[in-house]
Amino acid sequence: MSAESDMEYSDNDGDDYDYYGEQDDCDMEAVDRSKSDPEYFVFSCLRVEEVEKLLNESIELLSNSLQITPSLAKVMLHAYEWNAQEILKKYQENANEVLVYSRVKPSLPLPQGNSSQSVCAVCAGVPSVNKYSALACMHYFCDDCWGMHFEVQIMQGVSNTIQCMAQDCEVRAPEDFVLSHVAKPAIRERYQQFMFKDHVKSHPQLRFCPGPNCQWIYQAWVRVGARRVECRGCELLTCFSCGAPHHAPTDCATIRRWLTKCADDSETANYISAHTKDCPKCQICIEKNGGCNHMQCGACRHDFCWVCLGDWKSHGSEYYECSRYKEDPNLGTDNQHAQAREALKKYLHYYERWENHARSLKLEEQTLASLKSRINQKVMAGEGTWIDWQYLWDAARLLKRCRYTLQYTYPFAYYMENGPRKELFEYQQAQLEAEIENLSWKVERAETTDRGDLENQMDIAEKRRTTLLKDFLEFNTNSASSSKV
Amino acid sequence: MANIAAKRIKREFKEVMNSEEVAGGYIKLALVNDSWTELQGTIVGPPDTPYEGGTFQLEIKVPETYPFNPPKIRFVTKIWHPNVSSVTGAICLDILKDQWAAALTLRTVLLSIQALLSAAEAGDPQDAVVAKQYRESQQLFLLTARHWTNVYAGGPSAIWEFDQKVQRLLDMGIDEHEARVALSHYDWELERATEQLFS
Ligand SMILES: [Zn+2]
Ligand SMILES: [Zn+2]
Ligand SMILES: [Zn+2]
Ligand SMILES: [Zn+2]
Ligand SMILES: [Zn+2]
Ligand SMILES: [Zn+2]
Repeated sequence: MSAESDMEYSDNDGDDYDYYGEQDDCDMEAVDRSKSDPEYFVFSCLRVEEVEKLLNESIELLSNSLQITPSLAKVMLHAYEWNAQEILKKYQENANEVLVYSRVKPSLPLPQGNSSQSVCAVCAGVPSVNKYSALACMHYFCDDCWGMHFEVQIMQGVSNTIQCMAQDCEVRAPEDFVLSHVAKPAIRERYQQFMFKDHVKSHPQLRFCPGPNCQWIYQAWVRVGARRVECRGCELLTCFSCGAPHHAPTDCATIRRWLTKCADDSETANYISAHTKDCPKCQICIEKNGGCNHMQCGACRHDFCWVCLGDWKSHGSEYYECSRYKEDPNLGTDNQHAQAREALKKYLHYYERWENHARSLKLEEQTLASLKSRINQKVMAGEGTWIDWQYLWDAARLLKRCRYTLQYTYPFAYYMENGPRKELFEYQQAQLEAEIENLSWKVERAETTDRGDLENQMDIAEKRRTTLLKDFLEFNTNSASSSKV
Repeated sequence: MANIAAKRIKREFKEVMNSEEVAGGYIKLALVNDSWTELQGTIVGPPDTPYEGGTFQLEIKVPETYPFNPPKIRFVTKIWHPNVSSVTGAICLDILKDQWAAALTLRTVLLSIQALLSAAEAGDPQDAVVAKQYRESQQLFLLTARHWTNVYAGGPSAIWEFDQKVQRLLDMGIDEHEARVALSHYDWELERATEQLFS
């Protein structure tokens, strides 16, 4: 079946290699890519100002249509995940319901006879009438208390969801009300920063680039399945749907499981291999907690040697006799503990390969950097122009991309059920792996390899990669959308 | 301490002292120091619960930002309850966390904790072991809670069988509280508790 897939892609002549590269795309290319690249996904990478403009458009639309303040429009948009059309439609049907759902108005009837002359319930002071205010719920408190309340909440990182101070009241304080009670410029600024972050997070079409200190924001319209977005600033590859590092062919739920497992198990796995062994007699797992190699099993009282698992009695007091017993561990396989061990072995098999490719990818990063300076040197020395050496650069980037996909095939395989589909997957995975190693060898010796030979290898590796993605990413997306509730 | 916090606490202290609950002996509040940053609360176990007849001490710490942040409250008296840690006395109660409102007062909080003793929130457990027993062996839970009330909070009903089991472990040289915790955790099965203590 691999021959067939190769045929399918034989018209692919390698001119679409820079989609992991600089974002100088034009629409013509985009059309081509959607055909040749199984991971193709429409998105934009926006600056903070562009996103602010975009959010303001929704805010203005809503505040103009409903004749409300922009502050109230923000509260409502936040509650309705920025779907202004839905708000307008529902508002026509039942305005009160929309206001209660957005927590602009209280769900319970207003308190009766709440005289604004009484004591402020928070500070127990008696403020003058004009230093007293309330939200739509008519719970009056003094302005100093409101100010303190907002300051405390803002310092704790709360912004859009700051509530009224009354017991059991869930009415939210809109921006203008908050700002009219907070004077300190630093706190006001913090509040507005948190508001913006919160707006982006509550917006289904937006996502912050998770790169460290990166300010770019992605915009896209589909939020299911493994969706590749690449940052214009830090070049990080992210999955738009879930925010994890881009993970095709693995789906969002599986990569979350895998990453959690790796985080949970990395210690356990190291600990188990370093500190525990099975008792050679009864296969109970035994933990080593001291330097002594003479072990005694707590369950069956068998004395044995930690190093070789041999019977301690035949060891005498001499350690050098140890190696003799190496071939005599006599381990059974049909108990629960052996099964747990087997599961761990399986996990370690995939984990080691996953880790290994992650490490190689970091090295590939260095290769790219040194290649760039080598090409620069050549150009400076008059050995051709950048255009002449572009193919080398492309090859190194392609290598990085292939390895990236290869790394993410391991969690996919780990969770796959045994059967012909898994066999096919692992067959394609092995093929991809082999071609990547070939390519890697050739890239490292690129200046001495024949250019045609290198380009041919690039072609083969990329075909393996797209074939695998095409066969399994589609399956993946389908199952992701069908399992969505 | 911030002016507003001290002012509020003083007022609340008066409110509690003049309340009918104090008059009826259901709750108490006492000062620990002059700075009003720490108080000692007392609630009595509500009737028709395994805590009936017990007196429970609470540690109340008033933060600098009170009342904009909730007071920090934990049980000092050991108690067997799904929403209270049997180890630290930490309480899982929404109004002490995200449902806190600046307008809430110590009186309301003390009464809410007392109400929690009458109606546990099994869906929001603080102590997983206690919560499991509460869900799965209700009878055993009631007896264990009554036993703890008797031993730690001065409750009236001793559970003879449990006392005997604790004594057995005591005779083996185990600390009394440790023994009681182990037995309570293992549904009063002496063998499993012993195994755990000696492992
Ligand atoms: Zn006030
Ligand atoms: Zn209110
Ligand atoms: Zn970025
Ligand atoms: Zn994802
Ligand atoms: Zn053994
Ligand atoms: Zn040995």
